[in-house]
Amino acid sequence: MLRFSFIFRGRGVAKRFASSFSNESALPPNLLLPTNLVDPDRLKRPPPPADSSLPPLRKCDAAVPAHLTPVQAWVESLERQDSEPLGVAQLHPDVFAVPPRLDILHSVETWQRNYKRISHAHTKVRSEVSGGGRKPWKQKGSGRARHGSIRSPIWRGGGVSHGPRGPTSYYYMLPMKVRVQGLKVALSSKMAQDDLHIVDSLNIPTPDSQYLLDLIRHRHWGESVLIVDVGEDFSENILQATANLKTVNVIPAIGLNVHSMLKHEAIVLTLETVKFLEDKLLWHDERYTPLYPFKLPYSDFP
Amino acid sequence: MSLLGGLLRAGASYCQSAGTLLHTVRTISTGTCCQIRMHAIPQPKKVDRWTEKRSMYGVYDNIGILGDFKAHPKDLIVAPCWLKAFKGNELQRAIRKKKMVGDRMMTQDRHDLEKRIRFLYRRFNRTGKHR
Repeated sequence: MLRFSFIFRGRGVAKRFASSFSNESALPPNLLLPTNLVDPDRLKRPPPPADSSLPPLRKCDAAVPAHLTPVQAWVESLERQDSEPLGVAQLHPDVFAVPPRLDILHSVETWQRNYKRISHAHTKVRSEVSGGGRKPWKQKGSGRARHGSIRSPIWRGGGVSHGPRGPTSYYYMLPMKVRVQGLKVALSSKMAQDDLHIVDSLNIPTPDSQYLLDLIRHRHWGESVLIVDVGEDFSENILQATANLKTVNVIPAIGLNVHSMLKHEAIVLTLETVKFLEDKLLWHDERYTPLYPFKLPYSDFP
Repeated sequence: MSLLGGLLRAGASYCQSAGTLLHTVRTISTGTCCQIRMHAIPQPKKVDRWTEKRSMYGVYDNIGILGDFKAHPKDLIVAPCWLKAFKGNELQRAIRKKKMVGDRMMTQDRHDLEKRIRFLYRRFNRTGKHR
């Protein structure tokens, strides 16, 4: 989660701030840090430079605007635990290097939480509570306060006057382009914070969960990993390996969403997933407004 | 007079909020005071943040944009049929329920629903500032 990365970055930031102090210790004396904190800056491989001489394994299919340069990322392999990266891949800047719009991330995240929400809280009104049709005692002469029914809201056991009423829905839809931009911002943020990893394919030598955990700990990817692949057929090994793991999850590329990307610390994409995502997300930049819903057939859109 | 009224209202709301804050379950308070007695600070409840439901929450929410628009996220909603992909106030929900499910309802429930619709129609359209 971003909160943990704040702790990591905070330590590095504290060190950088401390260098400007004079004649003071590097960190404040009452700072309590866990003893197993590792400094990821020393361990992570720096991303490939923009003008690296290695031939890219994958180039952007769509045209990159002239004023932007493609994002370079290492392509790794899951075959061996300590293998070197296989090469460099170029990613489209309009998907993976979008300015970080936190307000869009917030609105997409709240939309994801609320649009499916149905609240089943329900209370009975005075007319729905059983009984209470008869006047309990006559209006005048009994000495007690005047009442019309035993189920009015001021009585014990009576109805609730302004309580929740029945299953309520909180459904709404954000504009399609806002949801698309939310995906792009989430991917760009993960890329910028070095939490996005590209892999050539999801072939693992063994269906052992421990192998995956060792690999993730060796490469310092984080506590939770989201593995995304295109297509419905996954190899048996990866499915079996992640079946028992709680924090490592595999989803198809259609299931990618901002909430899952924010919940898991690291995202692993295959090269086909990158192509699929660029294809789907860049189309919205240059499409016409729909005259009728997209699910009905168009002549030029599959 | 207004100061007194304001103080009383503030006092009442404070009591109510104190009462409802100390209950961990969301309760509907009808205004009667409940005596809360505690001996010690309660332990914070242990929540597993990585259950199947929590780790897979939100998957397929973008099935429209990423899946060629064959499905819509509103198809994912688990709700009574008159509330799927619909938002409205109580009167709108009641009218929709009567329209969609009314002939399947039990007689007492349907009678209550009709009474509620009649009451809400008159309340919204004949009383108050917004008609």
